[in-house]
Amino acid sequence: MSATLTSPPKIVRRNHVKPREIPGKIAVWTVMIVFAIFSVIPMLWLILAPSKTQRELQQLPPISFGRFQGYVDSWNNLLVFQDGRMLDWIFNSIWYTAVQVSVGCVVAILAGYALAATRVPMRRTLLITTLVAMIVPQVAFVLPLFVQITALGIYDTAWAVILPGTFFPFGVFLSYIYFTSTIPTELYDAAKIDGAGDWGTFFRIALPLSKGLLGMLAFFSFQVNWINFFLPYVVVTSGEVLTLPVGLGILFSSTPALSPQVGANVLPIRAPEIALAGMLIAIPILLVFLASARLLVRGVLAGSVKS
Amino acid sequence: MGAPDITSGAPTVVVTSAKAGIVKLKAGTAARINGILMFLPYFVLLVMFAIIPIVVAFNVSIGPSRLSPDGGLGNYLFVLQDFRFLPAVINVGLFLAIYLPAMLIVVAGLSLLLDTVNMKYTVPIRLAYLVPAGITGSVAILVWYFMLEPSYSPFAALFAEVGWTEGTDIFNTSNLVWIFALMAFFTGAGNWIVIQYGSLQSIPDDVLEAARVDGANAFQMAFQIKLPLIRKYLVYMLILVFAAGLQIFVEPFLISSSVYPGLAKDWSLNQLSYTLAFTGGNLGAATALSMMLMFVMITLALITIYRTDFFDEAVVRAKKGEAK
Repeated sequence: MSATLTSPPKIVRRNHVKPREIPGKIAVWTVMIVFAIFSVIPMLWLILAPSKTQRELQQLPPISFGRFQGYVDSWNNLLVFQDGRMLDWIFNSIWYTAVQVSVGCVVAILAGYALAATRVPMRRTLLITTLVAMIVPQVAFVLPLFVQITALGIYDTAWAVILPGTFFPFGVFLSYIYFTSTIPTELYDAAKIDGAGDWGTFFRIALPLSKGLLGMLAFFSFQVNWINFFLPYVVVTSGEVLTLPVGLGILFSSTPALSPQVGANVLPIRAPEIALAGMLIAIPILLVFLASARLLVRGVLAGSVKS
Repeated sequence: MGAPDITSGAPTVVVTSAKAGIVKLKAGTAARINGILMFLPYFVLLVMFAIIPIVVAFNVSIGPSRLSPDGGLGNYLFVLQDFRFLPAVINVGLFLAIYLPAMLIVVAGLSLLLDTVNMKYTVPIRLAYLVPAGITGSVAILVWYFMLEPSYSPFAALFAEVGWTEGTDIFNTSNLVWIFALMAFFTGAGNWIVIQYGSLQSIPDDVLEAARVDGANAFQMAFQIKLPLIRKYLVYMLILVFAAGLQIFVEPFLISSSVYPGLAKDWSLNQLSYTLAFTGGNLGAATALSMMLMFVMITLALITIYRTDFFDEAVVRAKKGEAK
């Protein structure tokens, strides 16, 4: 069985193009590429914006590069805001998310496996509760969570943001589906016949085959937690425990960047500076995707059980 | 799973017919305990950060408050009669009426198009589609402000063609629903295209090969074979997108707190809930509104689970495992 597991998936595709198919192909590629260009323009603008000065942003073509010094200047100007508060926000966002992703994924993968391959009691009820929690968006929980967090006495602490973020029902469901369908159940049965227990089967069979799943879980958990705005906005208020996305919201309202009427003569924070702050939030999401993109491709298991 | 039931960690290799019953029983208990241990951490989080908050918030919503000293449904009536409630319902309804069909058409269309091309050629395109996912939440407001403000926008020339030369030509009350729909669409569409493309990729090659051998052309393949096979994933997407859209908060909230102060004040239901709780100091009414939204969400979730076929397989499988 191990031999078939590692064999590459067979992909049968015909590559030759008939002449009458050419107009169709051109149309298909045009639509796909135009949508791709529109997808990239806002990010491209965001990445280029801090290289320019406020004046250049309005005078140079929107998609153009200023100078590298622009990033340095924008960064230094951002640090002026509340004596380097940006650094706190960056640090907080990184460590909060790191805890949320690692704890969330471990918890989710274990629970998903328990539902899929062990005899946890009330399996159906637990699964349905998870499905409900997964479909109800996080935002719907914000006010109830605010009440709960106040009752727990963790209001305005890092844990008020971190702990709710480790609850990851979508991850549990993804793991459950993965362990019941993508990994053939024959594999667990085989392992169990060979005498491996539940934990043994999990660590030696299920987990090593779950790199793709882990990549997906980490990706989704990161994406949700890194940009989360509403909950942190409501459950923490002190500048030193805030996260980057909420900090960006504060820059909106308390600097002249988007609201020229606010403190125009005091703070050097204008469009390039706020774009740099936005870029610091957006770039990690891109990088994390690039890092897990390889894992998101299908084919990890293709052909393992096909006779 | 018709195999022998040896699921414990003990090396129970020797299963004679006499001992089989006892070993099976022990194995069952051990498997149950292992299952509980594996599930426990998640269960604690589920109780702490989903179930208890809902129960507590519900109690606050029907508890005594300034407006309804006796508790009961007073807070709910207060919200329903609030002058901001109906406009918020209409705003969010219009927003969904634009956002949902746009998502369905574009996501289904582009994922089917991607699937007509060998996957190795579309890698850069799929990466490009995922780029807007980085522009979400507060960053989305930031970027789309600049994308739409004529003095900064890469599309300024385009806007000038239709006569939009001032920020206020674009950022005004009647355009808000379109702006928010555009932001939401743009943030999610690319992501979903790649996900739906993934489900198209999981259609077994032999099904497609069979259709091809039968002489199906590209359109027949797309509409008669592939689309029906991913239909339920599209339905599922719509449900999630609807649920998220109904809860819209960040976009109208941030636009009102900066660039155009008050432009979209109390525009969405969640904003109203926020205002009631943190500006009006009326937590009872805020949780009442929050509970009404939660009720809609849970009903929707239960309909999805019991009235669509999306989770049938998963639930049936769980049931089967339970009965064993």
